[in-house]
Amino acid sequence: MGRQMTEMLKGTLEGIVLAILAVRPAYGYEITAGLRDRGFTDIAEGTVYALLVRIEQRGLVDVERVASQKGPPRKVYTLNDAGRTSLAEFWGTWSFLAQRLGQLRAEGQ
Amino acid sequence: MTGWIEKVTGPLEEKKRYRQHRARLRALPEPYRTAQEGVERYLMHAGGMVGGDSLVRMLDDLDEIFAGAVADRTPVRALVGEDPVAFVEDFLSGYAEGQWVAKERRRLVETIDRAAQADPSVPDGEAPDGEAPDGERPTSGGGAS
Repeated sequence: MGRQMTEMLKGTLEGIVLAILAVRPAYGYEITAGLRDRGFTDIAEGTVYALLVRIEQRGLVDVERVASQKGPPRKVYTLNDAGRTSLAEFWGTWSFLAQRLGQLRAEGQ
Repeated sequence: MTGWIEKVTGPLEEKKRYRQHRARLRALPEPYRTAQEGVERYLMHAGGMVGGDSLVRMLDDLDEIFAGAVADRTPVRALVGEDPVAFVEDFLSGYAEGQWVAKERRRLVETIDRAAQADPSVPDGEAPDGEAPDGERPTSGGGAS
């Protein structure tokens, strides 16, 4: 994956993960699988897990621990009100950027 | 802010959590253990952490990430990615308040605040990044933020 893509994803990954959680609550591995299915390959799964830790600490998701047969309990992440507010803000920012960049692109054509 | 009790028990509690972390790391199966030890070595040498609560929290979180990978059978390469340094730097960014450089960051912000307040080129009552009327731009100062 190109360096530019890596840099752009860095700024948008949180919004992408919140958007995936807006569809339905999910385990960590379901989120990474959801990213892959949507064409976001090559994102280190650890990066997604580290992001989940951060959004949990910032109170954007509710976390429920579910016992697993093997290993430690797994966490289910659910988007809460603060998370939905943050996601709405993300989409607002995204629309703004997309619109301004579209304008700029049209100017140069 | 911190009472004497916390001064005594705080570090003790952190030591206990640190010992628990070491025990979890020792119990981690290979190759995850080698990988986590590598990540941790980098964090300790390049992370610039002053220790204390954020450091212990960081290690706890790292344990959880690796334990999760074991539970989900995520291969080490998929977990850490093609660029392990980028992964660790990104992980570290969640604990910026625990880095020694945090103090210098605050100091820089305060110094610039002081300098900007005393800036004679900004007339009183005019916000330097305020919207100029009728699309006119100020000729100096301000600038796009």
